[in-house]
Amino acid sequence: MKNFDLEEPESLAEALALLDEDDSAVRPIGGGTALMLMMKAQFFEPTRLVSLRKVGGALGGIDLSEDGSSLRVGAGTTFTQLQQSPLVQKHLPVIGRVMKTLANVRVRNVATVGGNLAHGDPHLDLPPVWMALDAAVDVVGPSGERRLAVADLFQGYYETSLADGEVITALYAPLVEDRRAAYAKVTTRASHDWPALGVAVSLVPDGDVIADIRIVLGAALDMPTRLTAAENVLRGQPAGDDLLATAGETAAEEVDIESDHRGSAGYKNHLLKIYLGRVVRELMGR
Amino acid sequence: MSGPRDITFTLNGRPAAATVKPGETLVDVLTNQFDLTGARESCAQGLCGCCTVLVDGDAVSGCLYMAWFADGAEINTIEGLADGNTLHPIQEAFLEAGAFQCGFCTPGFILMTKKLLEAHPDPDDDVIRHFLVGNLCRCAAYPEIVAAVKLAARRLRDAG
Repeated sequence: MKNFDLEEPESLAEALALLDEDDSAVRPIGGGTALMLMMKAQFFEPTRLVSLRKVGGALGGIDLSEDGSSLRVGAGTTFTQLQQSPLVQKHLPVIGRVMKTLANVRVRNVATVGGNLAHGDPHLDLPPVWMALDAAVDVVGPSGERRLAVADLFQGYYETSLADGEVITALYAPLVEDRRAAYAKVTTRASHDWPALGVAVSLVPDGDVIADIRIVLGAALDMPTRLTAAENVLRGQPAGDDLLATAGETAAEEVDIESDHRGSAGYKNHLLKIYLGRVVRELMGR
Repeated sequence: MSGPRDITFTLNGRPAAATVKPGETLVDVLTNQFDLTGARESCAQGLCGCCTVLVDGDAVSGCLYMAWFADGAEINTIEGLADGNTLHPIQEAFLEAGAFQCGFCTPGFILMTKKLLEAHPDPDDDVIRHFLVGNLCRCAAYPEIVAAVKLAARRLRDAG
């Protein structure tokens, strides 16, 4: 590996000062599990890494807002901390279920919530789930602080709307009464492969009717993508088999899935139709 | 631009120091500077568990862990598990259950089993298989590994 510098600032202000808005070879690093893979492959050659792991407070903690309407997750939270948090277990049980098939204990001990989002890798499991939960992130940089929906963070294949010099500081997940959420991860060879596709759904049932729903497709496109046409088919309707089949057809039509070594476009479209139905049925208790 | 830097840490209970190049992984430093070859790089992607090392008590993939991050940390490897010539009960259990053929993956499995049994002293098959899902045994000694974990769990519980 080429020489580079590592800084380990102990405050967010110091970290921001060490980043460089004009140099994409200067990057923040959380746990580093994803960046190290890119560095080992000489795909990313940094001149300076600014480690966020000693920043502490500003990037840590998992807290319920005072009115109980949202959960704040510090960007430096590791997946193990997320998984073990009683607040997350109580308010966002879907996260614990996603963790069961996300990487392994060792990676979860190190990888962070913020790094996972900033990486912009379309195959990751959590970003589509955060999108289905309508989560937002706080971002801090040279031009101040802004909050944006996780949906607006992703711009393309490994591309995000984060500017050089910006850091994700926290994630906010709104807590909605009676909302249920689930994620189906579909791998086509071994279970630890990158998924061929992932389907994240959150919905609010009203008896047999789907009062509200968000559907996000992961892994099969260049970024996690909300399937609004399929949502519109299902919203306000009872989740019958015919309607779910129509929603599956609509979902496959509203995106342009390409073939790759995880499966042909036709196969992945078929998986999308099947798994969308399965996830919605599971959430509606049918 | 900086080159190598000096770090100090605790290695299997003893003070240690190393000069580490930018981006060098923890498993490379342990192998090349300390002749500790129990943790070894195999898949190089954090999937297989052969490079498992404990950092401040947490299992990490040594092949993805930047060695600079080990500065000031407490590092434990398979080489520090036995008490002199007396093997750790988990090591004994793996031997008795025949939980390996070639042994390449065994150090990683044993360290992960240590963490597993700290969190779940009496694990069932599902818990064992789920916790060890990120450890691959290409000889496929999985049934014997699960048996070894249960044997070790029983002995550690009995020893109280």
